[in-house]
Amino acid sequence: MDIGNFLAALTPLNLMFALFGVAAGTIIGSIPGLTATMAVAVLVPITFSMEPASALILLGAIYTGAIYGGAYSAILLNTPGTPSAIATTFDGYPMAKQGKGDLAVALACFASVFGGLVGAFALLLLAPPLSRVALAFGPVEYFWLSIFGLSLIASLSNGNLAKGLAGGALGLILSTVGVAEVSADIRLTFGSQTMIGGFGVVGALIGLYCIPVLIDLVAVPDRHLQVEKGVQSVKIMPAFQLAMNSKFNLLRSSIIGTLVGILPGAGGSVAGLVAYSEVKRNAKPGQRFGEGEPDGLIATESANNATVGGGFIPTLVLGIPGTPPDAVILGALLVQGVRTGPALFESGGGSIAYTFVYGLLIATVLMLPVGLLIGRYAYKSIVSIPKAVLVPTVAFMTIIGTFAIRNSVSDVAIMILLGVFGWVVGRFGFAASPIVLGLILGPIAEQGFVQAWIIGSAVGDLPGMFFGRPITQAIIAFTLLSVIYPIVLAHRRQRRDTNQEHLS
Amino acid sequence: MTANTATGRYSALGSLLVAALFVALGAITLYDTLSYSDVDSKVFPRAAAILLIIASLLSILLTLLKPVADEGFGDGSWWRRAMLVCAMLGACALMPAFGFITASTAAFVGALIAAMHDKWQLRSAIIYGFSGAIIVGGFYSLFRFGLSVPLP
Repeated sequence: MDIGNFLAALTPLNLMFALFGVAAGTIIGSIPGLTATMAVAVLVPITFSMEPASALILLGAIYTGAIYGGAYSAILLNTPGTPSAIATTFDGYPMAKQGKGDLAVALACFASVFGGLVGAFALLLLAPPLSRVALAFGPVEYFWLSIFGLSLIASLSNGNLAKGLAGGALGLILSTVGVAEVSADIRLTFGSQTMIGGFGVVGALIGLYCIPVLIDLVAVPDRHLQVEKGVQSVKIMPAFQLAMNSKFNLLRSSIIGTLVGILPGAGGSVAGLVAYSEVKRNAKPGQRFGEGEPDGLIATESANNATVGGGFIPTLVLGIPGTPPDAVILGALLVQGVRTGPALFESGGGSIAYTFVYGLLIATVLMLPVGLLIGRYAYKSIVSIPKAVLVPTVAFMTIIGTFAIRNSVSDVAIMILLGVFGWVVGRFGFAASPIVLGLILGPIAEQGFVQAWIIGSAVGDLPGMFFGRPITQAIIAFTLLSVIYPIVLAHRRQRRDTNQEHLS
Repeated sequence: MTANTATGRYSALGSLLVAALFVALGAITLYDTLSYSDVDSKVFPRAAAILLIIASLLSILLTLLKPVADEGFGDGSWWRRAMLVCAMLGACALMPAFGFITASTAAFVGALIAAMHDKWQLRSAIIYGFSGAIIVGGFYSLFRFGLSVPLP
């Protein structure tokens, strides 16, 4: 790590690649169906003829831009542009519905940049020691981490835990449709070839979040989003103030994002959900999460962008990709002749690694002006486009975006039908978020559970396997705290209110 | 039972029906697991199905004991909702035979008609039609040629 690597990242060509990558990634990420993985994968061939450091800077910039870009459609259309932005819809869309879409877009940008910087600094300064965290996580830790994520159902149930649990369980069942990962049994397809591939997470996300919004939009002549005093540009200073007032939340969520990013297979969606769960658990009096609370948006956006730097830690140090886009970038690294491993940060490869990390830092900083500028136009477009054009445009984008994931017309039909199903059950109190939570965390939970069960049976110590490991115990404690603490708080509040009533 | 409770239970009928549907889905899942050859494949879906059935039955019980009126489907236009969904599903049906552009143009026009609440005028029809052509053509080009997605 020296000044030479930093200067190498600052060449005009690398700066141009970083700028282009962030802008392209942000735009691609904002389109529902186009994930960060797809954005990176599509542009990998372009990088083969480039210098290794420049190629990595371009790919890293696209990746970080795409993760942030997912927030636009999550905030303005209630449709996560990428799976990482799922939890952004919880408070982002309600903010937009209240006429604070401009504030939400700017706030998401500040939070994303902060999270991205924390992740990148962790990669720069702590990569080798932090990579050991990835090795400490076995199947049982992944199982309990997904259960911790599922505990969020309690707070996403809109006051009806039974309905939330039912939705979460349905999501878990939907995640099992198709070929079982461990034993290759065909499950819940009822003889249909179409269902063998199962429910694609991105298609299901688009269906469950976007289609209900479209169905509600066409039914009434009202505007899509309320706008305060005509169309405005994004509110930069109020958003900056809000972010500064939430420094601890920003830092905690960014650290959560970095640590979750280090875990192979977890990714931005899990990071956002865990950070959201934590900020909700630490809610101050008067904060109403799920109804447009800025702290919820700050937590999810800082956490999901922190996974970018975090995910690169095991990728570069251990050769184990932390997230799917990291796997694509790892492939590009190998094509470039860069050998990953602990020695990458020490030997000859170190200059490339450090130039790349500095490039990632620069790209993250560039995301601030680029993100605010694109956010301004995205917000203006969404609030000023007539509904008669907005609805067919979004409907068309859901079709083409879902098709592009697996090149399957059936996936598009499933997405639409799942959306109609989500709209119907949502009207009767069964919210979409617990279903989505189950669908995303189901495969992680099942794989972790079955593998831990097999290992535990083999060593003849199932209780020890599931409850005896220190990291497991810590995650179980957090899970119990997440579930019990809000109940205790609500009980205390109720008792206090009753006492006050008696006194008055 | 008071009149209010009876009314509440009636307006919570949708919740009861959806919960009953979830119980049925749980039962179907349990039945399907009987055909799996490996015990590892059964554990997780069975656990999820049992959780689904218990949570749905609990929801039914709570609704019957303390009925809360559902939000329901609201007052919006049903033909517009149906047209939007039919236009999108129609595009899926048309796509293999007529190609992506034709199918998605049909979906765009259907969704446009469904979402058009203002009075139709020649000017707006031309502008919206032109916008649709640019959006469909632009995204088709981006995905087909820029991102190499094999659109039919």
